[in-house]
Formats: sequence, structure tokens, C-alpha cells
Amino acid sequence: MFSFTKEQKVFDISGIKIGGQPGKYPTILIGGLFFKGEPDFNLAKNQIQKMYDLSKKTGNQSIPDFFVKKEEFIEDIVNFIEKTIPKNQPFSIDIIDANLKIKILEALHEKKLLSRTIYNSIHVGTTDEERKALKKFKPEAAILVAFNPKDKSPDGKIEVLANGANLLDKGLLDIAKEIGIKKILVDTAAMAPGDNSGASISAIPVIKEEYGLPVGCAIHNVVEKSNWLDKFKDSRKPVDAASNINIPLFGGDFAIFGSMHNSGLVFPMIAWEDILVSEYVESYFGIEPCDFHPRRKLF
Amino acid sequence: MKKGVTTTVIGSYPIEINNAELMDEYFNQKEVSWNGYIESVVNDMIHAGIQLVSDGQTRDPFVNIFCRKLGGCRIRERAEIIDKIQYVEPITIDDQKFVRQIIPEKRQNLGILTGPYTLSQSCVDLFYHDEKEIAFDFAKALKEEAKSLQKHVDMISIDEPFFSVSMPDYAKELIKTVISEVKCTTRLHVCGDVSTIIPEILESPVDILSHEFKASPKIFDAFEEHSFSQRICLGSVRSDSPNIESVDEIKKHIIRGIDVFGDKISQISPDCGLRLLPRDVAFQKLKNLVKAGEEIYG
Repeated sequence: MFSFTKEQKVFDISGIKIGGQPGKYPTILIGGLFFKGEPDFNLAKNQIQKMYDLSKKTGNQSIPDFFVKKEEFIEDIVNFIEKTIPKNQPFSIDIIDANLKIKILEALHEKKLLSRTIYNSIHVGTTDEERKALKKFKPEAAILVAFNPKDKSPDGKIEVLANGANLLDKGLLDIAKEIGIKKILVDTAAMAPGDNSGASISAIPVIKEEYGLPVGCAIHNVVEKSNWLDKFKDSRKPVDAASNINIPLFGGDFAIFGSMHNSGLVFPMIAWEDILVSEYVESYFGIEPCDFHPRRKLF
Repeated sequence: MKKGVTTTVIGSYPIEINNAELMDEYFNQKEVSWNGYIESVVNDMIHAGIQLVSDGQTRDPFVNIFCRKLGGCRIRERAEIIDKIQYVEPITIDDQKFVRQIIPEKRQNLGILTGPYTLSQSCVDLFYHDEKEIAFDFAKALKEEAKSLQKHVDMISIDEPFFSVSMPDYAKELIKTVISEVKCTTRLHVCGDVSTIIPEILESPVDILSHEFKASPKIFDAFEEHSFSQRICLGSVRSDSPNIESVDEIKKHIIRGIDVFGDKISQISPDCGLRLLPRDVAFQKLKNLVKAGEEIYG
């Protein structure tokens, strides 16, 4: 368990507190919707409500992460966000295609939703056009994916944040700052099994100590691609959920835990781990948990 | 080409990296492969007619290629030394194996090592506080790479551009350390104006000396004052200018080289790595170099 010498930033994103020394604030849980493309809004509404209920019970604040796979879904998804996500709650948009990202920024701007938007994500593939659009339609926060195709070690991840690893004209941090994004979250870029996948976890304390920013990742992706788990079919879901425990254990601030459908498994596990971390860091480093920490709510 | 003169390159070659494609591989959890980039530059060299080709050093700038994989080094804003420099894994071997797989039978491949002095001068030292010790630890690490590399290449070139800035009195020992167990042909490439350090360079225990004769023709005059045993790699097109030298201009330059060096010229090449030039310019420079070489040497 860790405490960092570097001052740790805590961002308030529409009421969500993210960052800080381990044990202070509970792990933020980011649950995904619409992975398969076609949105099922009724199902999504129920899943979001269930996730928010779990947040209330455990103290682990949560953020819905909306996948948008086609342009034709943008309008409906943005309308859904406007109607369904409470005005005091943030959300993130998770899109791979740069052109779609630009289009949704404009749509979010028109609906005045950018002040609650977490842009997922800025990375080495972010285009110049995307950067221009981000300057024009500035989201409240952005996730930087520290994927360095040249070096998947923690040092490689720092390199792409610091100087772009000679793949970009500048580092991802400078790109975000140039755009004017003040609330920067770092995703340590979980790799496929066998491709230095553990580095996404070991990079968490390294990046927090270097920059003092909130750090997390989607470590569950490694489980999803662990084909050997097919031999243990009953275990796949629990292992997927349990993988997220690595994040608070290594001092991380947020877990992008995959489908929101898995909230019921993930939230109690993370709450349990947050309590464990909090107990230790309070007794050793004197860091007291915040008022809504699972240790206050549940224990 | 007759008379044992080979067309070759110094090392780097321009390439455009497709970042969006790399991110797609990440999002789809696929392992990133650099082979497409290497194949692309090797194809350019082959199509231009170059006989001894490199891997193009497409992965990184030439210091980072080595510092990324050597123990004790890390890359931040610049390469940094944070612990004892050690050889922990092959650095360029896999790429050279791949090059050898894809080149036609009669073409050869060139292994490239960034020299120990250049590495020592290019890194931020947060550990040693002793310039000479750093250089020798780099040399020992590079010796391990060279030992393995020679099995997969036809020649090894050591690039030491920093010799032209400040040549240390232990330069010869450094080079000797790197190649002490190398049996293939070796080349020392020092770009920049080396006209004032020719005697020191001539002490280098390598087979071939390579310099920027095109950008710094006064090097011809400096060499004329000395006798030496090494052969010459004649830099014949500029790597710092996008102007494409005509075949006639290159021929004149080579003829001047023959006047000075005679049959000591064993290679003709660009002055230095071409990575900073537009790709079409780099390709045309290589084509003209090959054509000029063919017209002179047959």
C-alpha cells in the first residue's frame, strides 16, 4: 500500500471527487454501456439506476461510460444522457473513431453537456482535427491513454505522457493542457495478456508519484482476453470483477470496470478493498478517509 | 558494382508512423508489430538499388533505440541514466533478422550501433557523475549487442557523431571494446566536420571510415595529409538538404573522392542518416547515388 511524496491532485467533476492519496477518497467506478453498438435505452436506464444505488450504498462514486460506435446513434445517446443522467452527475463518452468524437463534441455542446463530460480519450492516435474540435468544444475533463507502442513498461507510459515518444509533436499532457483541459485523468493502458499486461498496474504508482494526477485503467480487459479462462467458465465473471481490486491496491483512483451489467459484483469488491487500504494508510500514514468512504458507510 | 564498391546507407530513413493504426491495434488488444515499417523502408532501399541496406532505424531516434532497452537507462524528456548501464536483452537483433528474411539473396544488411561516446554525451546522467565510466559501460553493453548482431548482418557500423564535437583521448579504446569480439567487417561513421581530428580517427581499429564528404569537402584535404590502412565510405549526397543532387553532380564528387583515395573507396553512401528528409527526396537521392555509382564503377 502506498502514500505518495508528490502532492496529489483531487478533481471535483460534477460532484465526483477523484484523485488524492490512497485511502482518502473511494475508488471511482466507471461502468460501460452500449459496447455492442445498438443502444438499448431501457436496459441502460435500469443499469444506471442500479449503479447509482450501489454508489449510495458503498460510497464508491460512479460514472457511466457511453460507447458510441456509429454516427446514427449520436443524437439518441446524447438525448438519453440529457434526460437520464442527473444534472449533478458526470458521464464519459468512449469513442475510438476520431470523426465520431468530433461530431459528438458538437452535439454535447449544443445540449450544454460539456461541463459534465469526461472525454475518453486523448492518445497517440488523436488527430489534429480532433485537437481543434476539443479546443472549440472543451469537455470538463479528459482521460489520457498512456499507450506507448514502442515501450509498454511504466517508463514507456511516462514517456508518451511527457514527450509523445516521437510519435507526436509533444506529450499527451501538453496536448491536454494546450487544449485547455484542467482536469486530467490518466489511463495506464492495459495490454493483452502476455504483452506486458502487468505494467498497467505497476504504472499506477509510478505515474501518480511523477505527476500527482488521478490514475486508473481498464484492467478487466486483460481478463476478457485471457482465453485460458474458458476452461473455468464459472470463474470468468468473478475474475473479471476481482481484477479491479489491483487498482486501489496499487494506489489508483478509478477503475474502468467494463460492462455496467457487472456493477453488482464489482462495487462490493472494491468497497471491501478500499476499506482494507484505508485501514492501513490511516494507521501508517495518518490519512483519514473522507465522509462518504466505504469504511465510514459500511464498517 | 565492380571493383568491390558497394552502395549503402548510414542508417536512418524517413517513415510516417500511422498512429491511428497503432491505437486500433491497442483497442483491439493486438500486439503491435513494427515489421510493416521496416519492410517499407527496406523496400525503398532495394528499389533504389542499394546493395547494403539498413533497417532504417524507424523505431526511434538513434540514441533512444539503445537507451530504451539498456538496463540503467530510461527515457523521459531525454534519455536518462539512473543506474549502472547493463546489457539486458537484444536491442536490434530481431529487426535485423527480419531484414535478412525480406531482402533478395544478393543484397546485404547493415547492423548499426550508436557509439558509446555519443550515447554517453546524449544522456542526462543521474547516476555516475563520471563521463569516462559511462562511456565504457555503454561500450561494454554494446559489445554484447555486437557479438550477437554479427550473426545476422554483413557489416556493423558504429555511429559516433559526437567525436566531431569532442573526441576523447580514450576514443580508440571505446571502439576497440565494442568490436573486440566482432569478426565481420566494421565501419566507424563520424559525421560533421572531422578535418581537425583525422589523426585520432585513423587510430580507430575498424575496417572502414565513413564521413560527410559531400557537406564538408574540406575533409578530402585533411585526409590527403595522411596515409592509412582503412577503406573509405564516401558520403556523396547531403542528408541535411532537400535539394536532390543530380547524377552528374554525384559523379563529379565520387571522381574527386577517387582522386584522393583511389581504390580505398569501398562504399558510397549518403552523408548521414536520411530520416529528416521527405521520403520521396530520400528515395530519389538514393536512386541518383546508385546510378552515379553504376556509371563510374560499372
